[in-house]
Amino acid sequence: MVTDPGLERIQRWMQACIEDQGTCEEAIASERARAAISAEEARSIVLPSKTLSSLERLDIYRGMYLLRMEEALSTDYPGLKHFLGDDKFMRMVERYVEVYPSRSYTLNRLGDHLPKFLRTLDDLPKKDFCCELARLELLLTEVFDAEDAPPLTEAAVRAVPPEAWETARLKPIPAFAIAEFDYPVSQYLGGVDEENPFPRIARKKTWMVAYRRDFNVSRHDLERPAYALLSALASGQTVGDAIVGTMTQRWRPAVKEACLFEWFRDWMADGLFQAVELAK
Amino acid sequence: MANRWGYPDLGFGIGLRSVHYEHVLNNKPAIDWFEILSENYMDTGGRPLHVLDQVAAHYPVVLHGVSLSVGSTDPIDFDYLRKLKALAKRINARWISDHLCWTGVAGHNTHDLLPMPYTNEALRHTIERVKTIQDFMERPIALENASTYLEFSASTWPESEFIAALTEQADCGILLDVNNVYVSSYNHGFDPKAYIDKIPRDRVVQMHLAGHTNKGTHILDTHSDYVIDSVWELYRYAHRRLGGVSTLLEWDANIPDFDVVHGEALKARQFREQEDLKLPAHAVDDGVPAYGD
Ligand SMILES: [Fe+2]
Repeated sequence: MVTDPGLERIQRWMQACIEDQGTCEEAIASERARAAISAEEARSIVLPSKTLSSLERLDIYRGMYLLRMEEALSTDYPGLKHFLGDDKFMRMVERYVEVYPSRSYTLNRLGDHLPKFLRTLDDLPKKDFCCELARLELLLTEVFDAEDAPPLTEAAVRAVPPEAWETARLKPIPAFAIAEFDYPVSQYLGGVDEENPFPRIARKKTWMVAYRRDFNVSRHDLERPAYALLSALASGQTVGDAIVGTMTQRWRPAVKEACLFEWFRDWMADGLFQAVELAK
Repeated sequence: MANRWGYPDLGFGIGLRSVHYEHVLNNKPAIDWFEILSENYMDTGGRPLHVLDQVAAHYPVVLHGVSLSVGSTDPIDFDYLRKLKALAKRINARWISDHLCWTGVAGHNTHDLLPMPYTNEALRHTIERVKTIQDFMERPIALENASTYLEFSASTWPESEFIAALTEQADCGILLDVNNVYVSSYNHGFDPKAYIDKIPRDRVVQMHLAGHTNKGTHILDTHSDYVIDSVWELYRYAHRRLGGVSTLLEWDANIPDFDVVHGEALKARQFREQEDLKLPAHAVDDGVPAYGD
């Protein structure tokens, strides 16, 4: 039987069937599929082959859809997948793409809503940890794809007159992220991607900087005062204000001035900044 | 026989994949050309684009996309086209290709190459879209025959004739994927050689070869293996009909070492040379009227 409901209805119907997570029978009977083509008419949209029924042929596309989405999300969220295990991760993906189907020409940003989505789930084991881990993994994808910019050279740093540092501002490279977490998620990810020992999964504040150097993404843990100073600098405070703001807080153990120099030296060596902006 | 745009026969290339980045940058292997998946290099300032710039400085590069969605009833995504155009310019892409398919509607992207119903309505619709896209891109695009797993009862055209009519009327090129012809012929029970006979020779700017997965009841176009003998046979046949056309080997899953993938692409050269010895090049008259002659 020939059925031609027109191109647009065929496409809306087929997409609704592909995105539906039930059986093929349930998919053609779903509200979205029926909004394009009635369940009765649906049986004659696709021709059977010698070996497969029309619904079995449609099912080939349906099966591949979720596998593709899972593959994309597991590339960006290897830590979360490791924590949840293959089955739970797959079930999470099914629910995620129902709410956030891809709307872009690229799969690279499919997972952009995942940390926010995880918050809405109430059957996730160690949900707060999962959310923090996803937040870290999303940040890392952003650092991976950020625009490239050459870091400050030693010559540019030396060219700044000593008296100008206090009012100067340091501009981070675009491929830079700094964050505070409620769990040791960066260490956990180190267990997954570098086979480091896994931390105990318990509430614990941690601080981290991630950046891209020579097109490789790195991340380091920061001590809390270093995090305070680096985030003050990254937010555009002058070097003087950032240092005063950090040093006038009470830290235990106290921060020695020598630490400041060590941190600065490391951050410069890591290429975290692209420019020193001098006050006019 | 040359294509009507004078696009050169680039020889035998492979798809550039991230697992081979180090090898390519460090060894600069003697390969004729690369094809890249356009979308992997858009919206990123990271390593992929950095690698691509270096590859494009050494080798001819062709852009191959999967999100043009040329047959969709959604509006054309000009933001995507703008980025595609900029990328093509950045790396001096020799040409740009995508697939005869649709990938989503209602703003969604399923990231699959979904089959078209081959109807008059779909033909008119796609012709208009191709024209608009080519006007915007200021160059012809080439469309590839996708592997398909189902056929619509609404279709009134065989796929090969639909492609011939579409590309003639929209004035665009063809990327003939010989493996896809084989896969679809297996899945739908048509004669793959008769399919190739219908393809207008002077519109074919490139050919694809790949391995697939035979599930018994159907074949999946997985690009996960060596090219099978029947596909090589079909490639010989296509070469006899089309002459020297830029040939590219696709390998996207279980990707082996660079040299293995490149070696598979170079097999195409042997088949071509054997065919060329058998017959004076392109002086083939197999009694089949070719479109575009
Ligand atoms: Fe292909």
